Amino acid sequence: MKVLIIIPAYNEEANIEKVVTNLKEVCPQYDYVVVNDGSKDRTADICRKNGFSLIDNPINLGLSGSFQSGMKYAIRMGYDAAIQIDGDGQHDVAYIPQMVDLMEKEQLDIVIGSRFVSEKKPWTPRMIGSRILSAGIWMTCGKHIKDPTSGMRLYGRKMLTEFATKLNYGPEPDTICYLIRCGAKVKETQVTMRERMGGTSYLNLSRSFWYMLSMTLSIFVIQWFRKRK
Amino acid sequence: MSLTFRIILIAVSVWTFIYMGRRIAKSQVLISDAVYWILFSMLLVILSIFPQIVEWLKNLIGIQSSVNCIFLIIIFLLLMKIFSLTIRVSQLDVKIKDMAQRYAVDKKIEEDEQKEKTREKQ
Repeated sequence: MKVLIIIPAYNEEANIEKVVTNLKEVCPQYDYVVVNDGSKDRTADICRKNGFSLIDNPINLGLSGSFQSGMKYAIRMGYDAAIQIDGDGQHDVAYIPQMVDLMEKEQLDIVIGSRFVSEKKPWTPRMIGSRILSAGIWMTCGKHIKDPTSGMRLYGRKMLTEFATKLNYGPEPDTICYLIRCGAKVKETQVTMRERMGGTSYLNLSRSFWYMLSMTLSIFVIQWFRKRK
Repeated sequence: MSLTFRIILIAVSVWTFIYMGRRIAKSQVLISDAVYWILFSMLLVILSIFPQIVEWLKNLIGIQSSVNCIFLIIIFLLLMKIFSLTIRVSQLDVKIKDMAQRYAVDKKIEEDEQKEKTREKQ
């Protein structure tokens, strides 16, 4: 299976070199592409200097827009699957082969690198948010997704076209919920995640609040309007 | 608030709700944009079902009639939306200009390089 690793990066000059160098060492069998989302820092320069594979968005498109750039590239180059990992070094790429194996073995559409398959979910504010989303997905499509906000997801061939071309397919829990209702086969596998290496997280308090509000509304209310295919 | 007014409010809100829902089904609007209108219509429905809330609010601010209070809430929410839309349009403007210029300049550089190459060949 031809797999592309998509690494969206916005202002990640502190991490991107380490992340990609590490990726090349641990997973030399897979292709990768960094999607620089109009960063204001030296992210793109660092990638060019090191000869990294790079898509340079001319303007800032946000996470889902960058991910879509990567997906469009994956389609054009004929990849069978694409995995999203964060540009801040949170995700341990050593788990990627496992996820790909699982997808191939069980013919899955989406494999989520989950922190909580065998580990217990703590009761921090962020994880309470995660529990609400898990409950929402369970109530609306009857499937337990233990780590709905994990950013480490592997998407199969069928999903690539959807994500590359369609509206309202952000790499977020509500899309996963919708795809499950459309009959996509989704499974989680245990991974461990680290703290981000450097730089600052995009999620602050008010962004988290709006994120939770729109996600819960989207899962509980809005998804019912969307047609099942 | 008269019963007729409350019924009109509910009807319009339900229509807004369904309208947004159908636009989402047809993939014509982003969910993140629709969220505002869904919340807006839900709020109006709640206010028309429980007019006590408006009653309490109007006494608090010192407005004479509940209907005016409802109008004030709607105007306030719409103004907020217009402000945020104005900012977004400006940002889109800048982004589109930036993108077009980048494309044009990139193309110019490409053409220059090609001319250079053909000149070297001659």
